[in-house]
Amino acid sequence: MIDTDHDVATANPLGIAGIEFIEYASTEPLAFGSLIEQMGFVAIARHRSREVTLYRQGDMNIVVNADKRSRPSSAREDMPATVISAIALRVRDADLAYRHAIEMGAWAIQTRVGVMELNIPGVHGAGDSILYFVDRVGDFSIYDVDFKPIPGAPQRPPALAGMHFFGVVQSIDEGRQPEWCDFYRQLMHFDALPEGEFFGAVPKGTLLASPCRSFYLQLIEPPPGAGSLQWEEQLVRVGFGVPDVAAAVQALQERGIVFIDRDPAQADGKGALTRLYKGGVSFELVVSARARTAEAR
Amino acid sequence: MNLSNFGLDSITLAGPLAARLAACRAAGFSQIMLWGRDLAAHPGGIEDAVKLVRESGVRVTGIQVMRDYEGLDGALHEYKLDIARQLLRVCKAVGARLLIVSASTSRHASGERERIARDLAKLANSAVPLGIRIGYEAQSWGRHVQSWEQAWEVVDLAAHANLGVVLDSFHMLAGGDELEALEDLPAEKIALVQLSDFMWRDLRSVEERIETAGHLRVFPGEGSHSAELSNMLRRLDRGGYRGSYSLEVVNDDYLQLAPDLVCARALTAAKWITDQVLRRSLQVRAYAGRTL
Repeated sequence: MIDTDHDVATANPLGIAGIEFIEYASTEPLAFGSLIEQMGFVAIARHRSREVTLYRQGDMNIVVNADKRSRPSSAREDMPATVISAIALRVRDADLAYRHAIEMGAWAIQTRVGVMELNIPGVHGAGDSILYFVDRVGDFSIYDVDFKPIPGAPQRPPALAGMHFFGVVQSIDEGRQPEWCDFYRQLMHFDALPEGEFFGAVPKGTLLASPCRSFYLQLIEPPPGAGSLQWEEQLVRVGFGVPDVAAAVQALQERGIVFIDRDPAQADGKGALTRLYKGGVSFELVVSARARTAEAR
Repeated sequence: MNLSNFGLDSITLAGPLAARLAACRAAGFSQIMLWGRDLAAHPGGIEDAVKLVRESGVRVTGIQVMRDYEGLDGALHEYKLDIARQLLRVCKAVGARLLIVSASTSRHASGERERIARDLAKLANSAVPLGIRIGYEAQSWGRHVQSWEQAWEVVDLAAHANLGVVLDSFHMLAGGDELEALEDLPAEKIALVQLSDFMWRDLRSVEERIETAGHLRVFPGEGSHSAELSNMLRRLDRGGYRGSYSLEVVNDDYLQLAPDLVCARALTAAKWITDQVLRRSLQVRAYAGRTL
């Protein structure tokens, strides 16, 4: 990269431009698949050799991975579990982004540990999750190598209620916010927003903005007095941006999604939280104009 | 006396791992510093050692020790990084929240501050997903980093919250380190304080330091630097340090005694340490002119 590059000047030397896909590992892929269909996603392709399905709406891709090898280490055989197992970031040059992360101390993933046959570079993130770096978005689809389209399924289903990836919530251990902030800053140039600056319905923890400012990581510590609560550092929830929360809530309710009734004082249109579904999954809506990078696509 | 902030270093005690853990627990200590070799050399294998530690009810203060890590090039750097990461896995396995990295003695290591800081930040990043902190410790016979102030300089430069300094009173006393600035050291950047003393005033040569450090340390309150130790403890307390004190007393005599006898000496030392800090608190109250 040359120094005069626009992104260098804007503190985004890796050219991060949003989320390419989010991967869930699930012991109950059918149930979870129906849930995200209720959220507006459409199953568009299946993996050529593994029990993996690609869902899409708008420019959001969700990979649902039921391959036994990708189960989280904490998963119990007798307990249904669905966890966020990877975030794939769009970057200008995946190899460059990967090498930067490795140079800064990230752990390389073992090849073939991931869902893709295509060798997508990735490093270990929180808990059992992986951070992938994906480039060549636009002229070549990374999904073509590994996935076969489902016959009859629309390959470009439109986004429901203007939904787009807004962010991911990560649980962290008590007092570990500075450590994680430095981790994401040094590996990927994320910036912590000033204390007290929040979006959405859950004004807690710390928000880290991607250098492209198109999505956020929210770090949340255990609530006070939660000594006996089981709390692990992991990715816990995806947040979808929507231009109009009330309209999106209504559209999703009509599809059977249940939202938690919050304190009326908080019901100010900033966001909404779904109930916790079987397997430990919930989703969040956050008021957000459609991200610039998504618009451009 | 609240013992929760005090722990022994396993190197202080003789006997198999189980006996050392039991002695600590019986004496009322809730934590112990372990060395990678305590686990690796356990007759039942490392998995059994991890199980033993986890079932002992004694918390692991940290794992000792990553040596000669920083300032290396190419394949040597990769090799050392790999070893450090193996030790991080050991930390994770036994539930230790700290890996101690002692300042390099290698003649292959660069002394460039930025370089050392970069290498430490790299390891600090590696340790974040595992929930382990990196503590960097000066060694009085280190190649480039001999004093706590030099260690702090590179830790500060690395600017990573997952990296702090480990203060070791032995090296500080042996090297004649300045203690005055200790209270300005941000408390959250102190990963751990290791305490021991020795019985003679000065250690002039490197050989003397290494010999004393490896065989002839004594507990705080038993040695000939009680005034300096007391000074150090009060400054740390004034600076807001509320973390753990690890008694790292490497002494051939203690290794000929039953661990419970050595633990009894450790308890006396913990009492002595508490008294030094307590004395300081009382002075502050008097100075403030208030009755609290």
